[in-house]
Amino acid sequence: MRAGIAFVGLLLVVGNACAEGRQVSLDWLKTMAFAGHQTDYSGVFIYQYGGRVETSRIIHVVESDGEYEKLECLDGPKREIIRHNGHVWEFHNHKMVRASNQGRGKFPSLLPEQLSALGVSYQASQVGVERVAGYDAQVILFEPKDNLRYAHKLWAHNVSGLLLKASVLDDRKQPVEQYAFTQLQIGGGIDRSWIKSAPAMDAQGRVHDEKSSAAAGVSVNSGWVVDALPLGFRKTMEIQRPMRGRHAPVVQLVFSDGLSAISVFVEPDDGDEDDVNGLSSRGAMNLYHKLANGHLITVVGEVPARTVMQVADSLRYNGAQ
Amino acid sequence: MKQEISALMDGELFEDEADSLFDEIRRGSGTHKDWDVYHLIGDVLRQPEHIHNDLSAKVRERMRDEPVVLAPRARATKQRARAFALSAAASLVAVGVVAWMSMQISPEAAPQLAMQQGALRPVSAQITSKANDYLMAHQEFSPSADMSGGASYIRTVSYSPEAK
Repeated sequence: MRAGIAFVGLLLVVGNACAEGRQVSLDWLKTMAFAGHQTDYSGVFIYQYGGRVETSRIIHVVESDGEYEKLECLDGPKREIIRHNGHVWEFHNHKMVRASNQGRGKFPSLLPEQLSALGVSYQASQVGVERVAGYDAQVILFEPKDNLRYAHKLWAHNVSGLLLKASVLDDRKQPVEQYAFTQLQIGGGIDRSWIKSAPAMDAQGRVHDEKSSAAAGVSVNSGWVVDALPLGFRKTMEIQRPMRGRHAPVVQLVFSDGLSAISVFVEPDDGDEDDVNGLSSRGAMNLYHKLANGHLITVVGEVPARTVMQVADSLRYNGAQ
Repeated sequence: MKQEISALMDGELFEDEADSLFDEIRRGSGTHKDWDVYHLIGDVLRQPEHIHNDLSAKVRERMRDEPVVLAPRARATKQRARAFALSAAASLVAVGVVAWMSMQISPEAAPQLAMQQGALRPVSAQITSKANDYLMAHQEFSPSADMSGGASYIRTVSYSPEAK
């Protein structure tokens, strides 16, 4: 069925006279998503946003039971994330705790329908070949068709398809965040010794498992709707989930336009005065808190501030459907 | 009054007469309408294919679309600076509008105005580490995690300056 959708999607795209370049770019996107999940690599990358630069090390290996990944910040306080397929642990209060357990499928979650939806929101083009971390990279630019999302520039390794560098640009073509490998080893003898000590191997034992935050979300029909959802965004998820530091379960709605996503969180207002109304940001991420009718509404996404605010302001309870 | 406006537009008023007329226009809402109508007439006579009608309403609409500035717990000084920046930006827009109306409209005027409005950006603070859980919850469903794998989680653990 999915292959059928893909085939029809392919026909539609091929049928489009001027779509050839776009198709090549979309193929690169698929290759990147595939390579990101299926390649063994280890390297050091920098993450840059708002005049700040951070250096981190990442190791990614594929074992018989799936992907293992370790992300470690090399400057500032110790921060570390270990991921095994859809399970994520992070270093928190001097121990590794489970940060998420949503059981995201192994790979890839870039569905054909999401790829075809990309064309609604972005103009894709190949803009040449550049060198990143010593490798030749294909540069692909996704320019948004409106100002409700950012432009994405991606550098994919010519041979493996691995994403070597990514830059998010605002409507004045200024980077809002950038991430780039400075050193990278693809394939070959990658250190796997840390996997044995990974919390995934004995989640019951050594690792402090915060049950409440570890339980997976359940699909719900929450009745919350976004009236002014920007064109091209589709709902990909609607769940009710526990969240660390929150007493009541939180409703999370996720919308995606294929390259970026917006999450809407709705929870009862617990009167915590730290939950101030307002906007905050980190790199391409914008977060908007709003109190409305006894609910705390939080909208997060790698989209411009105006977009998260538009979504938050047009959120409405439509009753049980 | 209408004749005076017409005379002003044709450049037939002396400076002091023009000044008092501007005062009058600023005070009375009725004269605003006349001012618009006379310019519309002028536009139609000169360039019938290129008519701008009720510009002020459109400007108001654009202003309304600008995000409201809401920042958590900004310090008073910041707020004053912001209020100043906002009023400065607003008066820039106002100047832009007046310039637009008094000179005959050139096609370049539109992008200029748009750029001035672009200068109005919502003020935002750094995401606090308390909100990291939302970022984490978001990240696991974001397509960016497919492209760059675990590296995209850097956003969720990035070191916040307020943690100092």
